[in-house]
Amino acid sequence: MRDDTFYFDMRRIIITTLLLGYATIASAQTDSTEHSNVLIQEVTVHGDKLNEDNLEFKQKDNVQVLIDKMLYNINGVSLIKRGNYAQEPIIRGLNPSQINTTVDGMQIFGACTDHMDPISSYVEPNNLSSIRLQLGPNSEQVGASIGGGFDFKLNKAKLGADKFVSGTIGTGYEANASAFRVLGSIQLSKKRWAVRANSIYRKSQNYTDGNGREIHFSQYEKLNFGVSSVFALNENNFIYLDYLQDDGRDIGYPALTMDVSFANAKIGSISHVYKKTGKTLYLLESKIYANYIDHAMDDSKRPDSLIAMRMDMPGTSSTFGFYSNASLRFGKKHFVKFKLNGYSNDLHAEMTMYPLIGAEMFMLTLPDTRRTVGGIDLSDKILITEKLKLSTGIRFDYVLSSITTEMGRQTLSGIYSGDLDKNHYLLNVFTQLNYKLNKKLSVSGGVAKAMRAPNAQELYAFYLFNRFDNYDYLGNPDIKQEESWNFNISANYRLKKLVLTTKVFAYYFKNYITGAKLPSSEYSAMTIGASGVKQYVNLDNAIIAGAEVGFKWKINKNFFFSSMNAFSYGEDYKHRALFMIPPLKSINTIVYSMKGYNFSLKYTTAMAQNNIDYDFYGENSTREFNLFDLSAGKTFKVKRFKYDVNIALDNIFNVPYYEHLDVMKINRQGRNLLVSLKFTF
Amino acid sequence: MKKIIVGVLMSALVFTSCNKDDDETVVTTPGTPAPTQVEIATATTSNNETVTLYADESQLSTGYENMYVTVKDASGNAIEDATVEFAPLMDMGTMQHACPFVNPTFDNTINKYKGYVVYTMSSMGGTWTLGVSVNGNLATFTLNIADSPTKVVGNYTGTDGVTYIVSLLRPVTWNVGMNDVEFLLHTKASMMSFPAVTDFTMVMTPWMTSMNHGSPNNIDPVHVGNGHYNGEVNFTMTGDWRLHLQLNQNGTEIHSDAFLDILF
Repeated sequence: MRDDTFYFDMRRIIITTLLLGYATIASAQTDSTEHSNVLIQEVTVHGDKLNEDNLEFKQKDNVQVLIDKMLYNINGVSLIKRGNYAQEPIIRGLNPSQINTTVDGMQIFGACTDHMDPISSYVEPNNLSSIRLQLGPNSEQVGASIGGGFDFKLNKAKLGADKFVSGTIGTGYEANASAFRVLGSIQLSKKRWAVRANSIYRKSQNYTDGNGREIHFSQYEKLNFGVSSVFALNENNFIYLDYLQDDGRDIGYPALTMDVSFANAKIGSISHVYKKTGKTLYLLESKIYANYIDHAMDDSKRPDSLIAMRMDMPGTSSTFGFYSNASLRFGKKHFVKFKLNGYSNDLHAEMTMYPLIGAEMFMLTLPDTRRTVGGIDLSDKILITEKLKLSTGIRFDYVLSSITTEMGRQTLSGIYSGDLDKNHYLLNVFTQLNYKLNKKLSVSGGVAKAMRAPNAQELYAFYLFNRFDNYDYLGNPDIKQEESWNFNISANYRLKKLVLTTKVFAYYFKNYITGAKLPSSEYSAMTIGASGVKQYVNLDNAIIAGAEVGFKWKINKNFFFSSMNAFSYGEDYKHRALFMIPPLKSINTIVYSMKGYNFSLKYTTAMAQNNIDYDFYGENSTREFNLFDLSAGKTFKVKRFKYDVNIALDNIFNVPYYEHLDVMKINRQGRNLLVSLKFTF
Repeated sequence: MKKIIVGVLMSALVFTSCNKDDDETVVTTPGTPAPTQVEIATATTSNNETVTLYADESQLSTGYENMYVTVKDASGNAIEDATVEFAPLMDMGTMQHACPFVNPTFDNTINKYKGYVVYTMSSMGGTWTLGVSVNGNLATFTLNIADSPTKVVGNYTGTDGVTYIVSLLRPVTWNVGMNDVEFLLHTKASMMSFPAVTDFTMVMTPWMTSMNHGSPNNIDPVHVGNGHYNGEVNFTMTGDWRLHLQLNQNGTEIHSDAFLDILF
């Protein structure tokens, strides 16, 4: 148990939740990760006292859904939607800059200035073993951030597996968008070495909304493949080589004015892992990595009638980095983790415009930015008494932001005359107490001081158009780092067949970074049709607070019920509602399982979001929606082989709906019939 | 284990330390001579001095042009202390006129006499000649003036009824971002006399014509001497830019929209 995870608390409580087909389902079982029927995904919630802010979603089987769908089912996670693909995950209403998204601890930054390519779009469930969600500074954090983030854990080749050759082949089809996919994985495993390769191809046409209207430019196509290998040098030392490539093609973004002709990511790493159970230094993991993203945004597929002016907006992102994490234990009650990491990321984004009359125009929208970051992190967990646990940590980061080309500097000379090199020093500190009152009830509370450096866009954006509020954005090299005080209290009440988890949280931001309008007399919008120009500024303060309530109940041998409810509220120092704050949302699932068959009914609802501010943040209200999904699945075992068959009907009543975070409020998919088959050998 | 940690730290140092610039853009001050001047023609004065005329580029075009002269005596020795004067003339058949210019002075850095001429029209409309006199002895050059690709010189009649000639100093390498910009302002006192205007103020508004937007943080040109007005212009992108100039004298608007065009 201990050696396959970072979580070494002896008393952890594992709540295993089963996500089924296309619905969320669960069963309250303690300390069980063994399920062999139609499990598509297994969710391990580390409800242990020391890791209250860590939720690790271990993925077992459902490798067919888009990662977006997987993220959607995590309590507290919302998605910013611009198309039917590559939705951008956020946590608790925090904006994407306030969280840190990594793949296997590797920093990767999207190359698109319009957020078309969040990091989650470059990984596939097929690549992943788990998604680790963090909710603020804690012992597992990868870098400095206000609100934690996602770490997508890559699926590693496994040494000494039961079978030398094993693998899966699968295919699926979705009627609504004529979406087709085929996937496979294969693993070769010996005692001293193992290799795992996986691939998925997806192609989807335009989808149709609940009104029967085709949503144009919502198609996508991608090919993703990954190779992972492990070599055991001896019984304590292991070398891992991982490579992941994702090639997106012809991806439509109905909410934006442009699409993507290609989006290619190449992600590689080499790692060394030292493990020795029982020693003080029982785990040491080091990695060197590099990744490169080449992204081409254009409007070549859009008809002339919709285009004021043709343009191309390509961008690239390249990152090199390393990390080294050491885990130590002193006796049975004291654990220390020491981490060192560094990376450097270069971003380049440009725009060429082609007017009908006159010369073409060229500009850098992200003028060759570089961010070099080094961090050092120390965290400590101690079991004070049998019932009381304390975890604390401190992290320091140095961030140097700069412009690497003369052309980049020259571009910014028109809006900024000072030194463009900027230094930020970040301190993240947290402390978390966990108290187990009795066998049924445990409570936890914590405080953290978090900081984050402004990102490259916030520092150096050059007339980046934001479709959300219809403004062009200018960076602000003088912007200060954002800081926050994070507070959380949670209670966990569990009976034999029932678990109730309640979390209450608040983030109090200082120097909150957002866009503020510049006077139109001096700044004219560059983008045709834009409302004006905004520049990133620090607001004195802002707050986001909310709660999550999770409920899981194993009614009897056949029936299981789960309910996930999340609510966030945000306002700035002038009591203006913050933007992109999800309204109260509830996902309720009832599952019936018997003899390898699984049936589930899922009810998803979100309240209307009327707590919005149009004047400053440019946001509009969103109405409520109610959604029902059905799914059924069956697993057959024939000799050593396993066959999974799933069928699902999403949005049964063909409801036209959109969510509050959907840019341009374009309706989501209407009724959709989904079928998937998988063969495991 | 230590080796690995040292290794990763080394790699971190390697990629953080190579923070060098990837390219360099040449930023020029308007009107600065081109690195090498191109010979246009040679003529001989009545006193047998050889006068060679140079320019920044081999093809002269309408607008501001740096004009350079070298003078050699009959035995081929360079003369660097002569009084050299220009006399540009456009002969349109039915009429003749001159244009704004400044007489050349000897420039040690390039070993040539340097002045400028603002060609207000191309050779399509008649014949341009440039008289160069050395200590009063005249040599005459016939010039071929092409139309500049964009409008870099303009005649504008003010509310005071006077004709003003606005021109943009060349050569300039334009960049996206902040650029030094320099204008010349002359008035037409007669067909042959174009004195510099030294007491105007200007309001400059750059405009991207094909997208209908401007740019922020421009610095209006101010008079710096001899009819030169220096300012700073912010180009947010490459393409077609129009520089709108409002010309004022003592707080009175003389012309609301004298404009010049730039393409880069």
